[in-house]
Amino acid sequence: MLGGDLWAIDTTGWLVIVNALIASAVLVALGRFLARGRLTSGVPEGRQVVGEFAADFFIRKARGMSEGHDRARVVGTVTPFLGTFFFFILLCNLFVLVPIPVVNRPPTSFFSATLALALCAVFGNLIVAARFKGPGGAIKHLFWPNPLQWVSEVTDVLSLSLRLFGNIGGEYMTIVLVTAAVPVGIPLILHVLGLIPSFVQAFVFTLLTASFLAGAIHHEERKKKERRHWFGRRRSEPAVQS
Amino acid sequence: MNPIWMALVAIIPIAAGAVTAAFAMRKISVTALDGMTRQPEIAPQLFTAMLIGMALVEALAIYTLVVTLVIAGKIVV
Repeated sequence: MLGGDLWAIDTTGWLVIVNALIASAVLVALGRFLARGRLTSGVPEGRQVVGEFAADFFIRKARGMSEGHDRARVVGTVTPFLGTFFFFILLCNLFVLVPIPVVNRPPTSFFSATLALALCAVFGNLIVAARFKGPGGAIKHLFWPNPLQWVSEVTDVLSLSLRLFGNIGGEYMTIVLVTAAVPVGIPLILHVLGLIPSFVQAFVFTLLTASFLAGAIHHEERKKKERRHWFGRRRSEPAVQS
Repeated sequence: MNPIWMALVAIIPIAAGAVTAAFAMRKISVTALDGMTRQPEIAPQLFTAMLIGMALVEALAIYTLVVTLVIAGKIVV
């Protein structure tokens, strides 16, 4: 019963949609709240510190992949992309903690929601790559070093969505089953332990999206230079003394 | 099909997947901890690399979980 229910692509779908909408509304309100008031480029204080702390990791990630491109443009495009994924998935995963009986089902425990997220990630990667390398460059990335490169994009969708769904859905199912057996005490421990996968899965989804994106917008010229560098050094190495 | 056989077919893959993934994760976490204790200054980078590796291993276990869920959904008692 439970297995089939969790796994099915949910056709009535109101719960997943409502919960995802609640999560995104909370996220938007939080972002508005943190960005309100006077923002300064000097020493920040109050809400701005929290906002900058939250954005810092993604800015550093974006800087790491900006080699060969305009750095400010890459940071401005990639940081919101990654940050939205992380905080949205984190909020969705934390829905188990809401103490209201029907609503407390995380949207990410439906396969339809995680599939949608993974599709957003992969197509978003393509669009961001098209923004920096042109549409031709983005499509070339699907076929170039290996003509079957696009297969890996399909498996990326599958692995991203199945990983998130398996972890969060499995956690939810465990909590439901244990609560049915022992309603007092034990579910509290499970909820506390469930905080770890909630955070780690959101983080992992974002990290994997970031590494796919880094591969997609990697600059060709730099690759050529690297190759020349390595082969050049190898040729000029001194012969081994025997 | 006999539901007991179906249950066995559902249980054996998840057990095998969990055991092999556990061994792989042991290897990953032990080597990452080794590296972190030897060079604490690169611990954050090692931690993110460890998380990615763990996620990739975990995906295989999750695939068996999904197959198990599909089979378990078909068990009619």
